Amino acid sequence: MLPEAVVAELRRIVGRESVIDSANDLRIFERDGSIEGAVPDAVVLASTTEQVARVMKVAAKHKIPVVPRGAGTGLSGGAVTIRGGIALQVTRMRRILEIDPVAQTALVEPGVVNQELSLVAAQHGLFYAPDPSSQKACTIGGNAAENSGGPHCLYYGVTTNHVLGMEVVLADGSVHWVGGDVPDRVGLDLCGVLVGSEGTLCAITKIKVRLLSIPPSVATLLAAFPNIETASQAVSAVIGHGIVPAALEMMDSVTVGAVEAHYHAGYPTDAGAVLLVEVDGIAESTRELMAAIGKILAENHGYGLREAQTPAERDLLWQGRKGAIGALGRIKPNYYLHDGVVPRSRLPQVLSAVGEIGEHYKLPVANVFHAGDGNLHPNILFDMRDHEVLHQVESAGEEMLRAVVELGGALSGEHGIGLEKSAFMPWIYSEDDLDAMHRVKDVFDPAGMLNPGKIFPDPSRKAVHLAGRTGLAVEAKWW
Amino acid sequence: MVVTATSIEKPASAEQLAKTLHDAATQKLAVIPVGGGRARGMGDPASRADVELHTTRLDRVIEHSQADMVVSVEAGITLEALQAELAKAGQFLPLDPFNSPGHTIGGLLASGWTGPLRMRFGSPRDFLIGIRVALPDGRLATGGGRVVKNVSGYDMMKLHYGALGALGVIVAASFKVFPRPMHDVTVTSDGGWEDTSRALATPVAPSALELFSDGRVLARYTGSPDAIKRVVGELGWKTADGAVWEEHSRHAHPTWARIGAPREKLRVLLDGLSDWWASPGAGVAHWAAPADASAVRAVRQKAEASGGSLVMLDAPDDFMRDVGAWGTPPETIAIMRNLKRAFDPDAVLNPGRFVV
Repeated sequence: MLPEAVVAELRRIVGRESVIDSANDLRIFERDGSIEGAVPDAVVLASTTEQVARVMKVAAKHKIPVVPRGAGTGLSGGAVTIRGGIALQVTRMRRILEIDPVAQTALVEPGVVNQELSLVAAQHGLFYAPDPSSQKACTIGGNAAENSGGPHCLYYGVTTNHVLGMEVVLADGSVHWVGGDVPDRVGLDLCGVLVGSEGTLCAITKIKVRLLSIPPSVATLLAAFPNIETASQAVSAVIGHGIVPAALEMMDSVTVGAVEAHYHAGYPTDAGAVLLVEVDGIAESTRELMAAIGKILAENHGYGLREAQTPAERDLLWQGRKGAIGALGRIKPNYYLHDGVVPRSRLPQVLSAVGEIGEHYKLPVANVFHAGDGNLHPNILFDMRDHEVLHQVESAGEEMLRAVVELGGALSGEHGIGLEKSAFMPWIYSEDDLDAMHRVKDVFDPAGMLNPGKIFPDPSRKAVHLAGRTGLAVEAKWW
Repeated sequence: MVVTATSIEKPASAEQLAKTLHDAATQKLAVIPVGGGRARGMGDPASRADVELHTTRLDRVIEHSQADMVVSVEAGITLEALQAELAKAGQFLPLDPFNSPGHTIGGLLASGWTGPLRMRFGSPRDFLIGIRVALPDGRLATGGGRVVKNVSGYDMMKLHYGALGALGVIVAASFKVFPRPMHDVTVTSDGGWEDTSRALATPVAPSALELFSDGRVLARYTGSPDAIKRVVGELGWKTADGAVWEEHSRHAHPTWARIGAPREKLRVLLDGLSDWWASPGAGVAHWAAPADASAVRAVRQKAEASGGSLVMLDAPDDFMRDVGAWGTPPETIAIMRNLKRAFDPDAVLNPGRFVV
């Protein structure tokens, strides 16, 4: 609970109705898309940059933590107010301020929904490339804070490659523009440092993004494989031939079963794994690339190759992929997933480790992921009402992540470290590495008031409890 | 007065380099990191220079994972040596900086220099996936990793890219690399700005598009043979030998500047100037500037008014002092100075040379 005088101060900034502090209402803001939650002391619904700046000043004066929050779809606990304080909700800042079809840029407020931007940009023949599977709900502000990815990031790059500049509010309430749409700007790349900083360095109040021309031709292919290993090898073979498709996604048999039951998209339910491959460009190049890809997949045990013949068919295939995690609700009501990344050639090894860990804990696991990037999403399926199982789920997730690291991978490809993976940071970074990152934190937020308890390990909170089941040798340090 | 370096250090390992840097910092000696020396003239003349710290003995390929299309190298390796290694696997790093050959990878990351291929592939900012940096307190700090997609912790690559060694000395880096294109065709015309607009409007964008002050245009198309055939056919320009790009990358000048501007404003900025070449698709131009400070100031003023910049890449010391390497400091300069202090509290790295 915040002191009444502070709540009154916040109400003077944003208006009476825009500060939520009743216990019942606050519970709505307890979580994001991950498991662990914590109720904020207050939720402030800001509508302007000026309001964000003034709220930040009040928080700084009273030493109250602030956690910027978008749609709350994040999967790493980034928006959870683990140390209490203010959840600074920016979803009312949802105007697309400008689309410049000549410069191919858009200036948006942080609460603009990802898919909405692409829908509006389409009127100019343009689109916004990063496409998280939650794009119907997630916001551009949240995407920038988390440096989000998506299926089409294989070719187009992740959020940081598309954010040109931002208006940000720092912990002291000062407002700054960082970056811009002109190349080779003078000075340090503050914009690049702030994208992906998970709300620990600034609140984002405007974002200038790059838009791309909608490709005139798109081809989407579905291919079945006997098992996940052969599908993984096919992925490496495609890339090994020098072809980087726009998207290259994999689903295992558990996922395909759930998706097909839900969407009837024509996924082969007898397959051990399926690949969804997309290429885009002009018709000449998509035809040529698809023919080459089809041949490579067939040579690598692919069968039942089916290219979408109409845009509707293509949409249905993608609906199955992007709605896959929702469809898994047919099996169990809850899921828990990590998004570790391995070097692509290690996919067969890491997926077999994931399978073994699931079996050991007797938990169903559904894999649906960005295979081309080596970016895993093993969904551990469970029922949260069973309190016993939660600890097992977390342990299984942790072991899977450990297997990723032991194969030379990284903790997160697109979901962020947030709350859930902060304890694992020492697996991939030395004390010196983390110290360097902490210097950046101290410059932007010396009092540690912005999204505290995230990214950096907090030994007092969570001990790493690893059963050590993976049995994989730790790779030699690579430098 | 120019202070010349009194000591030249060429450590043989990252650990040794960090120790040398730490020793110098402890004595508050000014350290000038040096790679291939191709961008030695960049920045304001250093206010002090006691130790030249060369990275050239750190020249190994640490690991090239062909199947993963990822390479990790020590910072002192030259771009040409790295490309030769990648070529064995039919891969390449899409980086073709001016004043080549001889750039080191560390130097390119610190200086932020790029070339024509930036239009299609972006700058190393877009494909640098891991970095290791020696800090003045003797620590070696790593950011990122060797996977192509990674949000584990802060993006330390962005912090050091283009920072001209102001925060630390880059000792190693990892990159996402690219397959050599199936097809690579260069065409040329003498049609000036009008023809660059035509090339930019083709249904497949060129991977590189260069315009010279005499009106010559070079366009490079890479990728699917059928698509390139169609586009090149529509343009109807003369085919040029691909070797023209290597020749172009040798361009440099004793007094030269880089202009960055919104793409649509580049033409107005360059109007009336001579001895320049530009990447109109990227909004970047290089200008062999006349030895006339007021002319340079005038162009800089116009560039800054358009939201862009003019940075001197090299010039005689007196000229550089007169004009200034960087122009008007950015609005966020105070934050940048705080970052500099956090990493280099005694200001021993390249003192006076960068904007912070």
